[in-house]
Amino acid sequence: MKTLSSLKVLVVEDEALVSMLVEDMLTDLGCTVVGPAAEIEEALRLAGAEDIDAALLDVNLGGRPIFPVADALRARGVPYAFASGYGEAGISEDHRGSAVLQKPFREADLRRVLEGLVAQTA
Amino acid sequence: MVSLAEPRVSDGSDDEIRARLARADSALAEEIRKSETLARVTQAVASSGDVDACVQAVIDGARDIIGADYGAFFYNVVAEDGESYTLYRLSGAPPEAFSNFPMPRKTEVFAPTFDGVGVVRSDDITKDPRYGRNAPRRGMPEGHLPVRSYLAIPVTSPRGAVLGGLFFGHAEPGRFTARDEALLVGLGAQVAVTIESIRVNAAALSELDQRRRAEERLKFALDSGRMGSWDLDVATRAYEASDLCKANYGRRADESFTFADLIATIHPEDRPRIMGAIESAIRDGADYDVEYRVILPTGELRWLHARGRAAQTADDGGARRLAGVSLDITERKRAEDRQKLLVNELNHRVKNSLATVQSIAAQTLRSITSPEFFREAFESRLIALSHTHDLLTRESWEGASLREVVDGELRAMAAEDRVTFDYASDLRLNPKAAVALGMGIHELATNAVKYGAWSVPGGEVIVAWRQDGDLLRLSWTERGGPPVNNPTRRGFGARLLERGLAAELSGGVELTYDPTGLVCHMALPRRALEP
Repeated sequence: MKTLSSLKVLVVEDEALVSMLVEDMLTDLGCTVVGPAAEIEEALRLAGAEDIDAALLDVNLGGRPIFPVADALRARGVPYAFASGYGEAGISEDHRGSAVLQKPFREADLRRVLEGLVAQTA
Repeated sequence: MVSLAEPRVSDGSDDEIRARLARADSALAEEIRKSETLARVTQAVASSGDVDACVQAVIDGARDIIGADYGAFFYNVVAEDGESYTLYRLSGAPPEAFSNFPMPRKTEVFAPTFDGVGVVRSDDITKDPRYGRNAPRRGMPEGHLPVRSYLAIPVTSPRGAVLGGLFFGHAEPGRFTARDEALLVGLGAQVAVTIESIRVNAAALSELDQRRRAEERLKFALDSGRMGSWDLDVATRAYEASDLCKANYGRRADESFTFADLIATIHPEDRPRIMGAIESAIRDGADYDVEYRVILPTGELRWLHARGRAAQTADDGGARRLAGVSLDITERKRAEDRQKLLVNELNHRVKNSLATVQSIAAQTLRSITSPEFFREAFESRLIALSHTHDLLTRESWEGASLREVVDGELRAMAAEDRVTFDYASDLRLNPKAAVALGMGIHELATNAVKYGAWSVPGGEVIVAWRQDGDLLRLSWTERGGPPVNNPTRRGFGARLLERGLAAELSGGVELTYDPTGLVCHMALPRRALEP
């Protein structure tokens, strides 16, 4: 099993309670949280500037789709997964095939998805 | 023919000659009168538009020609229910003269007429061997018009069907001549042809009328259902569309709309499917039942539902026509899309709420020192969340006012009497901000009840807000509570307010543990709050 320890994970999530939960899960898994960002602009800034190993992206940020952030990460070769209440259905055509975490999810689900992301880049 | 005596001048006296001449004149005058009457009747019969008028003209005229006291025409009609009735028209007698008698039966006197066998002419019918032979009346019933001279002519159609009979009578014997009989037989034939043609005409008119009514009903049904109707000739691809059908494709009634136009109007993505459906309906007689998009000449997109069926099998067994209806279902499709969107949105909200509840449970479990407090803390947070949801649901999740959100949380703590509000105007919050602020206020109120201003009598809270440019500045200030110490560890409430709420609403939240009471300052951008 690959270690997630010290993995830097960008969290983009616009609901305070959910982002707190994700932060706790990631901390428990030994990851370092980058963010969390609740707005597209902040997320884009972090995606471009910070040293990031992986990202977990809420699909809908206050009514705005997250996909520009996903595109920026893809351009940098940073693997990412979506977290969404819509499940797969909420993912735009050209991002189909990306990992999707259906909310609500367990810490084990998050771990599995992150391990998958790390394996992509290894 | 009546033979007129040839006047012979050389024979007999002048008186005799004058008498003969007078008789000849009178006979001629009578013949001319009959001819004129016949011509008039013939014309009336030929121009008759209905059977009754034709018959009446005949019996009136014929009675005049032959000098009968009475004339009658008995004729058969077949009603719509298939029953046959005998009706009659009279001349020279009031209707009452017959209304008390049953219809004439096929007695020996009447049979030749009703069976279409031949003419019965009698100088005195009461002396005819066929007269009075049928029970029960054995002759004319009591009160019958007095008839001695009798002339009856069957009226049969050119195809041999008996249409009825013409009957004439006179109270005196020996009144009807062979000449009269000949005239009336000719008239009878004319009557037959006229009645027949009137009936055929009436039947055609009635069928036409029925078709017109059926068409009107269909058009009404189609129009009221906003249904267009169409008809495709399979061989020639000639396409006929009703006005409403054209309208469904964005065409005016006076515009031409061919099959090629129809295909071109269908959305390119739907075209192959629809052409396939048309072909299969023609080839296999399959029901044509399709929904597709059309692009109107204006560029407008519409959804249509078309149903049809191949009809009228051709000699080679193939279909000759494909006909059906079309209906604009754009509104229904939009409603379906809206519904789909709503269901998706609802699912999204439910899933997000579950994630929120999951977070509340996890956070509560983490920050509670003893498990017995878990239930109370968890439930009260869940209920706080639920209050805000209630508020939002009341306004169809379009938003809620800040004051309402705060009130909802304070009411749950029974603390609404121990708070002072200070603000100039209320503020509309979007659903996300309402939920976040609701949870934040709940944490502040819970803390106040447990450790702060509301944990002792006399303590109070001031909730104040004002708009400062693009920011909303909101403060929660406690007074009159026990002395406040800076806590050794941050609990869930502090974390939610200072980190979670601040991040979610892209603003700043600061908790100050002032010795006189806890103060919470929020500076939140209005764009993150307002709907």
